[in-house]
Amino acid sequence: MKRILIADDRATSRELLRTVLERQGYAIIEAADGEEALQKARAEAPDLILLDLQMPRRTGYEVLLELRSDPRHAALPIIAITASAMQGDRERALAAGFTGYLTKPVALAQLRSQIHSLLTDGNSAGPGGN
Amino acid sequence: MTGKDPVPQAKAAQQESSLESRYRKLLEAAPDAILEVNQEGQIMLLNEAAERMFGYSRGELLGLNVESLVPASMRGGHARHRASYAERPNTRPMGTGLELQGQRKDGSLFPVEISLSPNWIAGSLHVIASVRDISERKSVEDRLRALREQYTAELTIKNEQLEARNLEVERANSQKTEFLASMSHELRTPLHTIIGFSELLTEQLEGPLTEKQQRFVGHILQDARHLLELINEILDISKIESGRLELKRESFDFSQIVEEVLGGVRHQAATKNISVENKNSFRHSLYADRLRVKEILYNLLNNAVKFTPDGGRVWLESFGERDTLHIAVCDTGIGIPAKEHPSIFEKFYQVGDTTGGVREGTGLGLPITKHLVELHGGSISVESRPGAGSRFILTLPLREPGT
Repeated sequence: MKRILIADDRATSRELLRTVLERQGYAIIEAADGEEALQKARAEAPDLILLDLQMPRRTGYEVLLELRSDPRHAALPIIAITASAMQGDRERALAAGFTGYLTKPVALAQLRSQIHSLLTDGNSAGPGGN
Repeated sequence: MTGKDPVPQAKAAQQESSLESRYRKLLEAAPDAILEVNQEGQIMLLNEAAERMFGYSRGELLGLNVESLVPASMRGGHARHRASYAERPNTRPMGTGLELQGQRKDGSLFPVEISLSPNWIAGSLHVIASVRDISERKSVEDRLRALREQYTAELTIKNEQLEARNLEVERANSQKTEFLASMSHELRTPLHTIIGFSELLTEQLEGPLTEKQQRFVGHILQDARHLLELINEILDISKIESGRLELKRESFDFSQIVEEVLGGVRHQAATKNISVENKNSFRHSLYADRLRVKEILYNLLNNAVKFTPDGGRVWLESFGERDTLHIAVCDTGIGIPAKEHPSIFEKFYQVGDTTGGVREGTGLGLPITKHLVELHGGSISVESRPGAGSRFILTLPLREPGT
């Protein structure tokens, strides 16, 4: 069973994603801030990470850079999720190394299909934006 | 030495003296003071202007040392200048770059310009000096300089004020953008869970819902989406109005995005039994902002479906003609009265009481669409009459800008 790490500082957001993804058959690990996200990513080796960009105690970007600097996680699918909608945000995220980029409110159908394609292609997907 | 008029020569110089008197008249008519000064510095010849200018009579000036006409403080220097002139006598202005002054009989000083020429009389060097009183010119120059300095000072102050105001405006502008960015972010975050959980409920995977419950959740979902649309459009329009929206142009297949957009409205149209037709004949690529062009088309088509009653028709026509892509989004809907045509492109305007209760939407769709079209360098207009449907006509340039 594939395991997905959900990192978001809002409990309701985490519950939403957990509900959707558990129905898809994934096991869920939760993290409530950047520091916890980093710890759990290293300790639990998830197959995919959903990373909110605006978190306390380490931003999504910081977590990404830390993870990517480790060769074990260089190809790990990490999807950025953010409520920000400023021009250039998507390009910046993809350029920094995120595998995908979703804006809140997230279209559930899109979330499902993106995760599905990233995890069934055996982690070899390129940037799979919105 | 007393002044004596030169004694006329013998009668053979009668002609000479008539020429002489003509020259004398010439001299006397000159507005500048003209003096001839001998090697010792004594004034030998002078004209009437010299008398007037310096306030002496002819008799007083003849034989007077020329240094008397120079301000007391400059007299020593003047004598030295005469000596050095004697070493290299030629016709030239005196004291270039210096502020020269003359002194009148009453002791008052006035600014002058002086030109000098040598004149050899029986082996001895006499100097002819032409003196111009430049008091008036100087006072005008001084006045002008003072005015210029005053204006420059005022300009500098004005400039500083403008710069300060500019900084303020920039700061306010960037504060506004930051505010909008964080506001939009803050507003979208709770919508994420509102919409998400509503969708989950309607999927009924967490348990069945009664018909009423389904309907209620449907209302929540619809209004949440409406709110989201409003937030996005406000952000968009504020970006456009502050000039901060940038188009990301690329070459893409136009007929493909037409298909995508039409597909996007077909679902909604089907619920009202409205047919959606594709009458596009432009099969080439378009160089424009793909996302924004889709937004433009989607906006117009969405409106068309919204304002067309059940069983009507909506279609998109387009063709290329030389440098322009012509597009028309048409419907058999309720139409727009001619007097409202200009207003529909204004912010928050919603077509009036004649729409029979259709009052959804944000009122921002058309203004944003118009901005986006015009940002591309195109134009948009409407043909419509109540009861006769509507045609929204827009053009987009096919050439890359600047080519």
